[in-house]
Amino acid sequence: MATIQLKDIWHSYDIEEGKTENPQYAVEDINVTYENGSAVALLGPSGCGKTTLLKIISGLTTPTKGQVLFDGKDVTELSAKERHIAQVFQFPVVYDSMNVYGNIAFPLANDGVDSATIRKRVYEVAEIMEISSLLKVPAGKLNPADKQKVSLGRGIVRPNTAAVLLDEPLTVIDPKAQWGLRRKLKQVQKELNFTMIYVTHDQHEALTFAEEVTVMQVGKIDQTGTPKDLHEDPQSTFIGYFIGSPGMNMMECSVDESGTVKFNGTSFNISKKRASSLLEHGDEFTFGIRPEYIKFGLEKSKNAVSGVVKLVEDTGAYKIVTTTLDTLDVKSRAPETMEVNEGDVAWLSFPEEEVKFYKDGKKVI
Amino acid sequence: MGIVVENVTKLHQSGYAKLENVNLEVNDGDFSVLLAPTGSGKTTLLRLLAGIEKPSSGKIYFDGVDVTRLSVQKRNIAMVYQQFVNYPSFTIYENIASPLRVAKTKVSEKEIDKQVRSNADLLGISHILDHLPQEVSGGQQQRTALARALCKGTKYVFLDEPLANLDYKLREELRSELKLIFREKGGALVYATPEPVDALGMASHVGFMHEGKILQYGPVKDVYHNPEFVEVGEYFSYPTMNILEGHKVEEEGRLFIKVTDQFKVDVSHLHETLKKDTYYLGIHAHMVTTNRESDSMFEIDGTVQLSEAVGSDTELHVDHRGKNIIVLMQELVSYGIGETMKLYLDPERFYVFDTDTHKLCAKTVNGG
Repeated sequence: MATIQLKDIWHSYDIEEGKTENPQYAVEDINVTYENGSAVALLGPSGCGKTTLLKIISGLTTPTKGQVLFDGKDVTELSAKERHIAQVFQFPVVYDSMNVYGNIAFPLANDGVDSATIRKRVYEVAEIMEISSLLKVPAGKLNPADKQKVSLGRGIVRPNTAAVLLDEPLTVIDPKAQWGLRRKLKQVQKELNFTMIYVTHDQHEALTFAEEVTVMQVGKIDQTGTPKDLHEDPQSTFIGYFIGSPGMNMMECSVDESGTVKFNGTSFNISKKRASSLLEHGDEFTFGIRPEYIKFGLEKSKNAVSGVVKLVEDTGAYKIVTTTLDTLDVKSRAPETMEVNEGDVAWLSFPEEEVKFYKDGKKVI
Repeated sequence: MGIVVENVTKLHQSGYAKLENVNLEVNDGDFSVLLAPTGSGKTTLLRLLAGIEKPSSGKIYFDGVDVTRLSVQKRNIAMVYQQFVNYPSFTIYENIASPLRVAKTKVSEKEIDKQVRSNADLLGISHILDHLPQEVSGGQQQRTALARALCKGTKYVFLDEPLANLDYKLREELRSELKLIFREKGGALVYATPEPVDALGMASHVGFMHEGKILQYGPVKDVYHNPEFVEVGEYFSYPTMNILEGHKVEEEGRLFIKVTDQFKVDVSHLHETLKKDTYYLGIHAHMVTTNRESDSMFEIDGTVQLSEAVGSDTELHVDHRGKNIIVLMQELVSYGIGETMKLYLDPERFYVFDTDTHKLCAKTVNGG
């Protein structure tokens, strides 16, 4: 297993095809390090460059510029095979006519490993993947979740596997079976201390799998952090919206030196100290606050703004309340036990430490 | 006034019942969700309501009029499907306008324009009216299909998993919007989905379907807080309700249902109801906590199997002496696999189900 480092990576398919005038870059200025044994997700909408990055890591694509390092060693020019990367794709890749044993044994048999060693290793891997009882079953007869376990088992059967790359591996798995496979992936990752990189457009899958998530937008890395980092301190308005459910409330505002934040015909106060450091960047911002950090009440309170409840959505565990402040809708949470009705007058307050300020989509403070 | 389904059975060619003796009453103004996993009959029921298929037996009434044998064209309904169905060579505008163009009584261009624009506005697609379907995103295509359904101006609208092919963020947004949009329309809405959050978030009423039958139907809150069957409790909650088998024991003059030595729920006050030896205990995942919130809570130990960030919450799968317990925490925290921890449960928050019939026998507290 290896620490994977991407150093100043740029890639252009235009240049690859020989178009050197005004080339478009699929990914640019990528600098990130994934420590040995980490569970990482590459997350972003389609077209954001995550698949290109995955190909650069696996060795299917050589970047236009920059270096790929495995444990400090430059592998930029090495092929996928030479990098010892295992890949699991959206659709399970198994040899239908071979049984599960044959599928898992395949890479080792190809390498010319002796049959006693193969046997020992296949049994080990099958045990880890909890498919020992299926070894004699033709792979074509398995359900998608078990097929995906076979794909993964075959991927990790070589003892010198450097990293496992997973490209939306749960897409074709029945929702009920997904939990088991997710647990398996995490367990394998932890117990074998694998570096696993999981590519997806689904924030839910990314956050459930990874300890560290890299969020990409149009070819660039927006932020890399733990799910908690991305949630509590989004570095861009995009992350604020994309991570969390529902996403962060975003409101245009102006700030003055007294600490008054004016927005949408109303206002609240922040500390003068914070206001003065904000004012170094101008006096107009977007402020963001997550629904779960807004204090929601039906009685008037200090430093709170009022509005009318537009919508109450239940989740079972709590309510998500949309309150209209003049022309602006703000989402917040209310306890399951609280009686809230559409049309009620509500009071919202924004605890200062949970309010983030953004300019041009990027966090200021 | 509304829709009445009376003893409806639909047999498959091979003879098994896709729907068996279904009864359902949807009143005008209801937003009614048919909730079930795939293959439980919800799409079949929707198709019968729309008139795309006919029942093998039973009756369907709209506003007291028997429509069982009426064709889909004569029922004055609109239907929206899971896959976005739009005319590829028509602009978004013409797609939305299409039902008005073929209406039996001619609609004036002015009226069509008004209808198209107001419905496009409602669905937030006014800016793409000149585009062709393939030029816009999947979310916008589905919005177009919804706008067309609204444009028809029918009293009843049926939706078959309309958000299924959309990504997570879009689903979240459209869910809130749909509730608002349809509230402004009269009539009733029947919406089939496998997602419990759809029903919880949007619907006024929910019917849980299981193997071709409606197991329970009622206002969302009633069904959520009083699941009549294990299946309803398990499915109609997110994450799923914890269901644990326990045995009735008497200790020091009190009656308990005991799951493990640590996990015992006092049911002394229910001794007249609970006559069997074995029961299932059910508890919602958000009712299991990681700190003692009241003195009456009891403590159990556990080992973390999986910790997942879900939206803005954390879902923990914890092993307690061989039992898997799901915990929903309303914050983002990270636990390592194998970490040991304490969980706390309130003995007054349990449902007691019969292990044979799966029926609800009692709740350990009244009301709620």
